[in-house]
Amino acid sequence: MRPFLAFDTATDHLALAVGDLDAPGEVLIARDMPAPRAANTVVLPMAERMLATIALAPADLAAIAVGRGPGSFTGVRIGVATAKGLAHGLGVPLVGFGTLDAVALAARAEGLVGVLGDAMRGEVYPALFRAHAGTAARVAPDRVAHPGDVAAEWAALDEPIMLTGNGLIKHAEVLIAALGARATFVPEGRRRPDGASLVAAAWAESGEGTLSAVAGLSRPDACGAAHPQTLLPIYTRLSDAEEAERVRAGRAGTLPHGGVAGPGATA
Amino acid sequence: MIRPMLEADLPRVLEIERASFALPWSEGMLRDDLARSDRVWRVAESGGRVVAFGGIMVVSSEAHVMDIAVECDHRREGHARELLVGLMADAVARGAARMTLEVRESNAEALALYASCGFDVAGRRIGYYPETGEDALVLWSRPLVTQAGAVAAARAGDDLVLAIETSCDETAASVMRGGREELASVVASQIDFHARFGGVVPEIASRKHTEAVVAVVAEALGKAGVGFGDLHAIAVTQGPGLVGALVVGLAYAKGLALATGLPLVGVNHLEGHIYAARLLDGDLEPPLVALLVSGGHTLLVHVPGWGRYELLGRTLDDAAGEAFDKVAKLLGLGYPGGPVISRLADSGDPAAIAFPRPMLRSGNLDVSLSGLKTAVIQYVEAERAAGRELRVPDIAASFQAAVVDVQVAKTLRAATGHRVKAVVLAGGVAANPALREGLRAALAAEGIALSVPPFGLCTDNASMIAAAAHDHLAAGRVLGLSADAVPNLRLGAEPQISE
Repeated sequence: MRPFLAFDTATDHLALAVGDLDAPGEVLIARDMPAPRAANTVVLPMAERMLATIALAPADLAAIAVGRGPGSFTGVRIGVATAKGLAHGLGVPLVGFGTLDAVALAARAEGLVGVLGDAMRGEVYPALFRAHAGTAARVAPDRVAHPGDVAAEWAALDEPIMLTGNGLIKHAEVLIAALGARATFVPEGRRRPDGASLVAAAWAESGEGTLSAVAGLSRPDACGAAHPQTLLPIYTRLSDAEEAERVRAGRAGTLPHGGVAGPGATA
Repeated sequence: MIRPMLEADLPRVLEIERASFALPWSEGMLRDDLARSDRVWRVAESGGRVVAFGGIMVVSSEAHVMDIAVECDHRREGHARELLVGLMADAVARGAARMTLEVRESNAEALALYASCGFDVAGRRIGYYPETGEDALVLWSRPLVTQAGAVAAARAGDDLVLAIETSCDETAASVMRGGREELASVVASQIDFHARFGGVVPEIASRKHTEAVVAVVAEALGKAGVGFGDLHAIAVTQGPGLVGALVVGLAYAKGLALATGLPLVGVNHLEGHIYAARLLDGDLEPPLVALLVSGGHTLLVHVPGWGRYELLGRTLDDAAGEAFDKVAKLLGLGYPGGPVISRLADSGDPAAIAFPRPMLRSGNLDVSLSGLKTAVIQYVEAERAAGRELRVPDIAASFQAAVVDVQVAKTLRAATGHRVKAVVLAGGVAANPALREGLRAALAAEGIALSVPPFGLCTDNASMIAAAAHDHLAAGRVLGLSADAVPNLRLGAEPQISE
C-alpha cells in the first residue's frame, strides 16, 4: 500500500481523503465539512487527525493530490501552497485535479452533468461532464462566464442536464428559465466535493504529471514528473489590475501560465 | 530557574495553587502525586523563591499536563512558558511524543500561552468544570521530540532554521545557524510584475508567491548544502503584510512542518526588520530605538530587550516609501519612487521649495506624510498652470528634505527620550542616503550610534525572519498547525488560538 492524501480548499466546503497509489479508486478514509474562510486553520489539523485515525503518519504518504480550482483565489492558493509544502517536505510527487471534476463526481449521476462554480461578481465557473458508471468525462476546459451565456449554451445542447455546484445558490433561476424540464438538480447537500470524489477526480486526470501517470513510477521518477514546484492553481481570470489593462489595450488573449501576464505584457 | 519539585516545596506550592484555582489540589493529592514514578513536577524560582509550578503525567506516548500555576505577582514574566519548556523535555525523556491538556475556555491568558507553545485546539469537553459548568478546550502539542530538540539547539546557539518570507512582493527563503550565521539567502523579487501598475498589486503578489515558493526554498537549501532532515525548525512571516501573500508562505510552511515533523516559528515582519540590524552588527544590544521605514510601514519602536517592543509613533496616513512612490508617479518618474527621487535629489537644491514639515512640532512621535504629498501636488499643479517648466531635481530634493527632516527629528527625540545608545534604521527606505546621513549626523551629536543594515537586509528578506525566529525558538515560542496569517499583526502581539 502506498497511501496518498487528497484535499480541496477551493470552496467553502473542505474535503479530504486518503487513497492508495496501488489501488486506483480505493478510498481509505474520507472527510468533508463546511469551513467558510477557515481552510487555512482547519485543513492540516484535520489531515493529521484523519491520518492518525487509520494509523498513518504524514511520513507514510507517497503522494499529495490537491484541487486546483477554480474557486476562491485565496481558497485555491491555500490548498495549493499547503500541498506544495507537504509534497516538498515529504519528497513525494504533487498532482492536481479540477475542483469542478470532484463536484461532478460527487453527484454520482449518469448522463450530462453541468457544474456551476460560484465565481462571485455575478459570474460562474461552468463545466460540463458526461458521467457514466462512476466516471465523469470533461467536455470543455475551465473558464469563467456569465450565467445567462452558460444557460443559453447548455440549452442549445437540447439534452437533459443534471445541475450541481455552489453557483446554483445564486444562479439556479437563469438555468431553469433556459433549460426548463431538461434541468434536474443534484440534492443540495451533495453539490460539493466530498473525500471520495477527490480520489476519483485525482485518478481521472490524464496527461503528464497526473496521478495515473506517476502512480507506476519509482519515487524519484514520480517526483521528477510531478514536482511540487510545477503545479499551479486554475484561476480562469487575471488579477483585476491586469484585466483592466487588457480592456484598455483592447485585447482578449488567453490566460498565461501562472495566471500573471508578465512584465512585458503592455509592450 | 526551573528545578524538580521537592516535598519541602509543598507549603509554598499549595499557597500558589490555592490562590490560583477555585478547586485546588489538596496537600495529600499533591504529596501522593509527587511520589509517583509516572509524574514529573517542577517549580520555577525567582529570587530564591518558588513562584510557579507545574506537573505532567506520562501515559505511554502521551504527556498530560495536570497543573500549571503562577503566583499572581509573577505572572507575565515567562515562568509558565519556562515550566512548559522544561516539562516538554521531561516528557521526551520519558518517551512521550505529544503533550495534551484541558483549559478553561475563558482563560485567555493560558490559551495564549499554549497557542504560543504550539498547541492546537483538538476538541471540547462540555461542562468539564463542575464549579462553573464551563467547557474545557482540549489542546494537543506538536511533536515533542523535534520541538524540545529545537529549543535545546537554539539555547545552545546551534539551531539550523529555514525561514520563509512572503509578506509583500518578495518571495524569500534563508537558512541560518544560531540566528546569526547566514548559510543561504535567496530573494525572488516580483517588482517587474508590479512596476507598470505603479505599486504592488496584491493578487499578482499572491500568484507569484505560489509560483515561486518551492523553487526559492529549494535554492536556499541547495546553497546552504542542507536538506529538510538537517533542520531544527521552519520559520515564517505571520504578519503584518498583504493577507493573500502572507497566506501562501504560511500555508506552505505549515505543510512543510507537518511533513517534516519540525516545529514552526511565526515571526512578525517588523520584528524581522529590527533583527536585520543584529545580523550586521553582532554586538548590537538593546535598549535601542528602531525606525522602520518602508513602502508599507513607518514606525518608531523602543526595544528595551530583544523580543520586547513598545510602539512610540507611526505614520497616521501614508508610509514613507508610499509617499516617495506617489510623488514619483506625479512627476512621471515610474515605480518604485525611492531610488529615482533620491538620485534626482542629488542634483537638486533641498532648500529650493519650502514644503511643509507636517507634525514636526506635534509633541508626539507620530508622523503624517499625506499632507506633504498634497503640498507637492499643489506646487506641481501651480507651476504647470503658470506655464513654467518643472525643476524636477529641485522638487525631488526639497520633498526628500522634508521627509528626512521630520523622520530625523522624531527619531532623535525618541532616542534621547529613552536614553538609548543605539538606533536601528531599517526597511526599504533605509536605503535612502539622505535619510541615513541626516540621521547619522543628528544622532552622532548626541553620542548615539546608528546601525543601518546593508541594502539587501533593509529590503524584505528571509534572513531577518530567521534571525528573529532563533530568539523565539530559544524562548520556546512556536506555532500550531491551526495558525493563520495576521495581516495587521502588532509587534509583540500574543498569538490567537482557534477551535
